[in-house]
Amino acid sequence: MLLQQLINGLTLGGVYALIALGYTMVYGILELINFAHGEIYMLGAYLGIIFLAFFTAAGLTATSLPIALFLTVLLTIIFCSAYGFAMEKTAYKPLRNAPRLSPLISAIGVSIFLQNYVMLTQGATDKVFPYKFSSAGFQFLNVNMTYLQAIIIAVSALLMLLLHLFIQKTRIGKAMRATAQDKTMASLVGINVDIIISATFVIGAGLAAVAGIMVAAYYGLVNYYIGYIAGIKAFTAAVLGGIGSIPGAMLGGIVLGLVESIGAAYISSEYKDAYAFIILIIILLIKPSGILGKTAEEKV
Amino acid sequence: MLKLSSVHTSYGPIKALRGIDIEVYKGEIVCLIGSNGAGKTTTLMTISGILKPEAGDILFKDEPIKDTSPHIIVKKGICHVPEGRRIFPRLTIMENIEMGAYSEVRTQKSELRNNLERVFALFPILKERAKQMGGTLSGGEQQMLAIGRALMSNPELLLLDEPSLGLAPIMVSRIFKTIKEINNEGVTVLLVEQNAKAALKLSNRGYVLENGAIKLHGRGGDLLHNEEVKKAYLGE
Repeated sequence: MLLQQLINGLTLGGVYALIALGYTMVYGILELINFAHGEIYMLGAYLGIIFLAFFTAAGLTATSLPIALFLTVLLTIIFCSAYGFAMEKTAYKPLRNAPRLSPLISAIGVSIFLQNYVMLTQGATDKVFPYKFSSAGFQFLNVNMTYLQAIIIAVSALLMLLLHLFIQKTRIGKAMRATAQDKTMASLVGINVDIIISATFVIGAGLAAVAGIMVAAYYGLVNYYIGYIAGIKAFTAAVLGGIGSIPGAMLGGIVLGLVESIGAAYISSEYKDAYAFIILIIILLIKPSGILGKTAEEKV
Repeated sequence: MLKLSSVHTSYGPIKALRGIDIEVYKGEIVCLIGSNGAGKTTTLMTISGILKPEAGDILFKDEPIKDTSPHIIVKKGICHVPEGRRIFPRLTIMENIEMGAYSEVRTQKSELRNNLERVFALFPILKERAKQMGGTLSGGEQQMLAIGRALMSNPELLLLDEPSLGLAPIMVSRIFKTIKEINNEGVTVLLVEQNAKAALKLSNRGYVLENGAIKLHGRGGDLLHNEEVKKAYLGE
């Protein structure tokens, strides 16, 4: 029973972590909570359904499911990244030197806009994921892990590993860390800060897009307001791990997923959505900087 | 090499520079001295593109740069080491140095390695601690890292803002010696200093700033013996 909940929690946690990374990376560089980030995840779920339905209609899903899924994921990432890019350029960049409240309000505006845009174009009713994954899976120690759960956990882990390598080892990744620490100095060593900020939004949106498709496939249903609750939970995960910290967002997402599924199993599933916020309150009271967060340091 | 003509810069309603004319020739060390708030740092930030001048012109190698972004100005050959060193504290020393070469993507690997060797030869301590986080260094070591990082971009003109600030006297003389060495290798230096005496001794020429305007300029040695300068800035 417990092991089963751990697997369910890990599945959910991987998805939260992917979304939380987008919050934490943007916060790390701009000190902005991008409250519209959850909508990118929602767009990912919708775009995934639209592209897969297209490939199904074209017959590709029947002939080769892996290729159809791969193309769906690829196209969804590209489209969501474009949304993320456009969001930064239109809603945040003009406000870069404005008081801190302005971009926050702008973010809420983008969020409301995107929800209504999807509601008007896709309808207010639930959309069904066009492919039903079988409930077969691996059996071990009295536990059942479906293939889809295994894929979600593996994809989340792989993406987090790739992101970690990208941030630690590549030239752009190092420039992102440098920009997060000191934007002015970054520009003085020749880093184009605008490009780095755009790259951050694009990568965050790409990760959220994958999370959106996986959740759409996992639950089978999506609607235009899923981004709101998922966004707030992922934000909680980012705060839990320490906002601005990339390993923190990964850890926070997984912890939150585990707490939710174990809480639902052992306490009450009625309050499933409340556990995230109980954790948020506890963290803010006990350790506001989060598990791996750094307390504000003195600049020498 | 660098020419500022009647440059005005403001922070909102506050006029920090009121028409500055400065010229720096190739191979020189030129210093800006003046009291706090005279506009020394503002001058450097205006040259490197962090602040945009309201009026006036800035020419670098006869090319206007006043509307150019900071990251492009670095590519053109001006490197600014700002006040307070501003190293990246949570990047390793090696990564800090690599960031200095960020704009040199098209430079040959071998040339980059030569630059790295040169930085390590100037500051051996950086090689020893290459894997440590930048924030673990002492103030003087951070200053070395900041200068080393700047040298990685192959600057023709180096802007140094208060390199001796907050350092122990022995470290100050080392840093000044290093600036002279870098200059001997052909890098032109524009230096801002509170430590007016040491700066004037080191420099070919100097400018005295007061309330955002140039009050005096002349050869370093002449300014050292100028009565006004002596009284106001050398404490004699």
